[in-house]
Amino acid sequence: MEELILKLKQEIIEVLNLEDIKPEDIDNDAPLFGEGLGLDSIDALELIVLMEKNYGIKLQDPAKGKEIFKSINVMADYIQKNRTR
Amino acid sequence: MERRGLDFVALNQGNAQLTELYRTHIGDWPKFYKMDTLSKAGFVATELLLKKVGECRCSSEEFIRSRAIVLFGSTASLCADRNYQETIQDKDNYYPSPALFVYTLPNIVTGEIAIRNHWRGETSFYVLEEPDASQMAFHLACAFQDGDTESILAGWVDSRMNDDFQVFVTLVSREDAADTEWLAGQLQLMINNLNK
Repeated sequence: MEELILKLKQEIIEVLNLEDIKPEDIDNDAPLFGEGLGLDSIDALELIVLMEKNYGIKLQDPAKGKEIFKSINVMADYIQKNRTR
Repeated sequence: MERRGLDFVALNQGNAQLTELYRTHIGDWPKFYKMDTLSKAGFVATELLLKKVGECRCSSEEFIRSRAIVLFGSTASLCADRNYQETIQDKDNYYPSPALFVYTLPNIVTGEIAIRNHWRGETSFYVLEEPDASQMAFHLACAFQDGDTESILAGWVDSRMNDDFQVFVTLVSREDAADTEWLAGQLQLMINNLNK
């Protein structure tokens, strides 16, 4: 799980162009949206694309993203349980 | 007495230079990193111009409603269009990027500048075959006809490829635009600076 969390952080930093942020700066339990990393709705769409592209997870209901993207820990847990690649 | 020329900022370096300028002189707008080259160029040049002329962002409601943005370029959002197209080119690797898609309009750069500065006047982006001082001066003079615009952030911003851009920006007042011949002369000086 630790390995997946680190990989996920690196992928998020790259795909969302979070230039001044390092994996260790991201708190595993902090909210990704709002206060945490301050991501916006376009970032949410990019995360949906990332999950499909890198883990083969296709979110049928984009509204589910709100729960899945709650934090790195929640996202990693969802990926581990649902990944197809 | 000879009339004082317009202040302007012109840049035409590589994209890495824009990031360096952002880090050195701006640094408080992380959205910069998500922008396409066209928006980065327009954003950084505007920030440097506002610093140069000493304009603060704590302006009155009246001011922010009367500040327009009118930019010109020749390749519009072609660079962003190409970047986006790469994400949909291969049917076996078809993952359209929302973050790239949002920049596939040239007027997004005007929005990025308006949001940063809270300006709420008119914004427009004209596509010209090449920098043309007379046409630009004409369109700027027209922009003052709406009765609300009192000043315009104006300029040329163009990006053919990710590391290839040209930009200049200046501030034009109603008085400046009233003398279109003089304004065209000023814009021509800035155009001449694009390739220096």
